[in-house]
Amino acid sequence: MAGASAADVRSILSLPNSSTPASTQPKRAAPLARKPSGISRELYSLIGPSAPTLVAQAAKPRLKQKPNLGSGGSTKWEWRSFKNPARTDGLELGHWVKANTDPSADYPFARYNAKSADYTYTQDEYTKLLEDPEWTKEETDYLFNLVREYDSRFYIVTDRYEFATGPPRSMEDLKDRYYSVCRKLIRSRPWAGDEASKSQIISTFQFDKEREVMRKKYLLSLENRTSKELAEEEALYVELKRIEQNEKRFKQDRDRLLRTLLGAESGLPDLPIDEDGPLGDPKKKKKGVANELDSPATPSSSLFASAVPRRAQSAKSAAHDAMHCIQRTDGTTPAGTTTKATHQAAYLRSFRLAYPKAAVAAKVTQIAAELSISLSRLVMPTRDTLAQHEALLEGITTLVEMKKVTDRVDQEIRTAKMRLGMRESETPAETPMDVDEDVQAPDTPGEGRAQSVVSTRSGRSRKQTGTTNDRRSVSVSSVDTSATSATRAGTKRQKFS
Amino acid sequence: MVQYGGDEVSALVLDIGSSTLRAGYAGDDTPKAIIPTSYGFVPVTRDADVSMTEAGADTEPAPPREESKLYIGQQHGPSSPTSILSPSLIRHALKDVLRCKPEDHPILVTEPAWNTPANRERMAEIMFEEFQVPAFYIANTGVLNAFAAGKGSALVIDIGHSTTSVTPVVDGFVLRKGLVHSALPQLVHAHAKHTLITASHNHPPIQLFSHQLIANKTPVEPGTMPRFTVREDRFSKTTPSLASYYENREVEEWIQSVAGVLDQGWNDQAAAQRPVRHYEFPTVGELFFAHSRDLVASNPHLPRTIPALISQALTACDPDMRQVLMGNVVLAGGGSLLAGFGERLNNELVRNFPHVKIHAPGNPTERRYGGWLGGSILASLGTFHQLWISKEEWQEHGKPIVAQRCK
Repeated sequence: MAGASAADVRSILSLPNSSTPASTQPKRAAPLARKPSGISRELYSLIGPSAPTLVAQAAKPRLKQKPNLGSGGSTKWEWRSFKNPARTDGLELGHWVKANTDPSADYPFARYNAKSADYTYTQDEYTKLLEDPEWTKEETDYLFNLVREYDSRFYIVTDRYEFATGPPRSMEDLKDRYYSVCRKLIRSRPWAGDEASKSQIISTFQFDKEREVMRKKYLLSLENRTSKELAEEEALYVELKRIEQNEKRFKQDRDRLLRTLLGAESGLPDLPIDEDGPLGDPKKKKKGVANELDSPATPSSSLFASAVPRRAQSAKSAAHDAMHCIQRTDGTTPAGTTTKATHQAAYLRSFRLAYPKAAVAAKVTQIAAELSISLSRLVMPTRDTLAQHEALLEGITTLVEMKKVTDRVDQEIRTAKMRLGMRESETPAETPMDVDEDVQAPDTPGEGRAQSVVSTRSGRSRKQTGTTNDRRSVSVSSVDTSATSATRAGTKRQKFS
Repeated sequence: MVQYGGDEVSALVLDIGSSTLRAGYAGDDTPKAIIPTSYGFVPVTRDADVSMTEAGADTEPAPPREESKLYIGQQHGPSSPTSILSPSLIRHALKDVLRCKPEDHPILVTEPAWNTPANRERMAEIMFEEFQVPAFYIANTGVLNAFAAGKGSALVIDIGHSTTSVTPVVDGFVLRKGLVHSALPQLVHAHAKHTLITASHNHPPIQLFSHQLIANKTPVEPGTMPRFTVREDRFSKTTPSLASYYENREVEEWIQSVAGVLDQGWNDQAAAQRPVRHYEFPTVGELFFAHSRDLVASNPHLPRTIPALISQALTACDPDMRQVLMGNVVLAGGGSLLAGFGERLNNELVRNFPHVKIHAPGNPTERRYGGWLGGSILASLGTFHQLWISKEEWQEHGKPIVAQRCK
């Protein structure tokens, strides 16, 4: 552009060459040669060689700074022998240190030589406080030495504990003895600080041997579980969770029912149901939506069906297509958005492969694997194959979901049966527990059916009376219910008679 | 420098194993000198084999030659009653190979966890009296292997040349009650040798001569009797100890290149799927070895297998500690490089314990010389320098200081 010279223009316009070709050439070459590298070519061609000096200066070639290796001064290191104050002897070792470090300074690692506070006792203290029928003074001394030597690492103390004349000791024995001795020593000795800090110190030496032994035993039994027991535990846990959930749902349902039956009178706070609503409902809604989507008439196919007539072609072009085996697709673009005939890029059908839903993907692929079909790749993704593929996927998904539902129902039936069986076996035991309900209706023999309604009523009245007088609530409610049941029974009896 | 806790005092680290002796400077990542513990010597009197233990003590090591008797040092580990701690070997390593003056350097020596107190005292005596070292420390290979893996508490599975050991290490101390070891590698070796020298369906009995004893051989079809001629001049001079040394070396090489374990325990089908291995002995032409039940290490009938050792070690530990140990399993030693061993161990452990994590260095040098590496780390720590047994202390307290300091 900017570089288009006059000669170019002339040649384009087919003008004769300028009369002074010799003069233009050097003119052009000269400034080019002097063009400083800092300015862009376009700018230079605008401002020409009369560039401001500032720019020229700023545009000096900038090279990387040479690394300054020498001037920093190499640090001098020297071999010095040093003494370690953590040692009791005069061993001198040598090491390289920077020459500018202070030679008289302490060895820096000596400060890590921390000693833990240890407790010792005199013979007097031992006889007065620390006598124990199971421990001799020698063995206690030995224990304290070991604990000091291994810095209270009781695992190692237990491992190295070999007291010839004493009985074999477990780690709990050792800990118990050590901590109890420490506690007694602290308690008996004069304490410099306040009582709180003393009791705090004592509490750090607290040790409950029985509990520790029990804990270890539990730990062992946990470790020794067989895989069968593990599986059983797992199954029980799952069952428990399920029962809890069922219970919750049952309670919710009951509350909802009560509320709808009795309204504000029920006395149940309204809040929970509102809270449950947003929590519980979306799931159901979602499920419902999903079910609708999963219905056999798949949305994509229906869309396709509805889209086809809209794109109906003239008879002529249809015939032309049929002759040349052309099939026109509208792809998978949603029908609603095709207000304008948008351009559709070409694509490979294999890119539009349907995939199973993420929730059931694993199972679907498993089933497909059983059929020895690869869902992720089609050898020949023609239109028909794709349709088949989609149908297959739908089928598998439905199958998986159906299976899930049947499994759940089966499980429910099983547990219900089990519960039924349990109830049947336990009925004689259960009746005495329902005494208060039975007591309510001594005058209504054979009127078991009224009980459920009655009990709900009683619950309500209990609630109401509970606000006024809690103590009497039970008796009041029983009176109330017995009265109502009596009247009901009376009416029923009247009906029967 | 200080933030890593390192402070190098140019200490030496000496790791004496049953097949090789490793020596080098603390702070390095690999030993400078790796010297086989077997060496030859020419006996003064031309009797039959001299008693090996006597001969080794005061002869200078030289590479094995035909006519030399062979001193097989440390063959059963430095602690077994038959072994002697050979000062000549240490002198060779320090003076001839490292070319250093031992009297200038503190030295850290390793010992297996089952070393006897007498042995470690003898080692201290050798170091202080023979080599005049300024300071000495003896550390446990199990602990050092754990340190090399960067762990204070670990269950170290060390498979060496002659011994397999499982060492529970807690806070840098060995739990002696949980320590177990067995001569599993020797058994594997013996079994391999037996497999090779007896005829089987895929190979004739193999004579285990080394290359320098073979004059020539003609290629034959696999599975047929070998045809070769031996060098009579050398063959006649080979002493029995040298011959057995050669034999063992052939077997060792064969184990290293052919033998392996299956990932999931013995399984005929899985074994059949493995490709055959090709191996050529000096005496025999090409041979093909497929995995078979007869092959070493895939044989499930070995006594005291490694999982058995591990569970024995664990039951001796406190239940609180087991979880920690199984989360920090450290695999070390050259024997653990056996093909497929790491996977197999992992599979076996995962089957029996809920949370297992195995630390196995991928670098063979680190795996084989983990004990040395841990020693190198330990002896270059600034906080370690208060633990050295100095010469002064040795002279003052004598032998008991060793047990007192090196716990």
